[in-house]
Amino acid sequence: MDHLTRRLEAILFLAPRPVPAADLAAACSAGDDAVAQAVGRLAAEYCPGRHGVELREVAGGYQLVVAEDCESAVISYGGARAPEDLSPALLETLSVVAYLQPATRADVARVRGVSSEWALAALEERGLVAEQGRAETPGAPILYGTTDRFLMVFGLRSAAELPSLDGFAPGTDDVEELRARLLANAERRTP
Amino acid sequence: MRPAQAYPTGLDVDLDVFSGPFDLLVTLVLREEIDLWEVSVARLIGDYVVHLADAGDFDLDTTSQFLVHVATLLEMKSRLLLSLPGDDDVAEVEAEEAGEELLAALVRYTQFRRAAEALAGLWTRHAGRIARQAGLPACYSCPPSPGRRMPPAALAEAMAPLLREPAAPDSSHITDVAVTLVEELRRLRVLLRRGGAFSFQSVAPRGRLERAVTFFALLELHNRGEVRLAQKRAFADIVVTPLVDLEASAAG
Repeated sequence: MDHLTRRLEAILFLAPRPVPAADLAAACSAGDDAVAQAVGRLAAEYCPGRHGVELREVAGGYQLVVAEDCESAVISYGGARAPEDLSPALLETLSVVAYLQPATRADVARVRGVSSEWALAALEERGLVAEQGRAETPGAPILYGTTDRFLMVFGLRSAAELPSLDGFAPGTDDVEELRARLLANAERRTP
Repeated sequence: MRPAQAYPTGLDVDLDVFSGPFDLLVTLVLREEIDLWEVSVARLIGDYVVHLADAGDFDLDTTSQFLVHVATLLEMKSRLLLSLPGDDDVAEVEAEEAGEELLAALVRYTQFRRAAEALAGLWTRHAGRIARQAGLPACYSCPPSPGRRMPPAALAEAMAPLLREPAAPDSSHITDVAVTLVEELRRLRVLLRRGGAFSFQSVAPRGRLERAVTFFALLELHNRGEVRLAQKRAFADIVVTPLVDLEASAAG
């Protein structure tokens, strides 16, 4: 490995969070292109299956993570624990915030049909969403958005990498089925 | 009926994890496991009241949440009622609109629920990944000490404004009460001595506060048995008549 690549490796070895390419460039007094190429070489070196750690691009930066087949050893060594799973209610609330951000409580409630105060508080506590100022509408409600930690635990480089919301829209058939069931339900009740 | 029993369980466990009527509606209506129509809301409320009584303490948050759930349920039920074919044309149009609105809300909700499922997939793949989280070794991560750049005088400069006596606040806009009860009592006694009976209106000053003081002074005189107060009807003028020898009372 050349000197720049080795220096990047050293920084990533110690960094407690994903390091943006710009920070790597500044630390090594190197140009963006040179860093991009060096990161490419590092990624090839630390591709899955070669070492006990892998390079991944996440939350706007680069990070060395433990290879999946080595995780069990690390867990028995350090007692690391996987984050507690999110309940469907939390995932729903999170997806509304992620796609509509910055979103108010009312935005979330409008989609979910229920007050989501508790869910938002729980997500905030887990560091997945955070307040991002206040809306300039009457009552100045708090605006929520996702955090870097959100990007990390979901393996996203940025919020723009979320799968498109349009892709989840129910198709015409699904909508017709929903309608038919609503109607059937209503008709069954007709006296 | 099944549904009535299915509800209180969610209620008994924890309302917070109960993912809510919309989820319920989709699950219940689509899978037809439970028919929304057969959920007795009255029974649900009854159970909750019993649950509250058993729990002993009253949690406002949980109860508000419950109210929201019940209100949403009732709204959904009434909307389904509206979408029944009606006799009235107008009602039919409105019912149709309400039905479409409900459908649109369901479609949007379904979209986000699917997005949430996709997020759950990403979570399973990535949330468990292990990376270093500890900071740099202490000797490398210390922020540069500000002491080198800041002269000691800066500390004194920062302290000085805190030690300065603040200027007295401007109170010119606050006026003193013009009359005191003692002064008013004295004035009324002089009036009584001079002319005997008089009416409240004829002696009361203009200001609200001053009038109140005059009225209070009258009550005080009445209380001491020095005057008799008479009023023909509510809010009418009050006639004040002296009762005692004021010379004596003033002397005493």
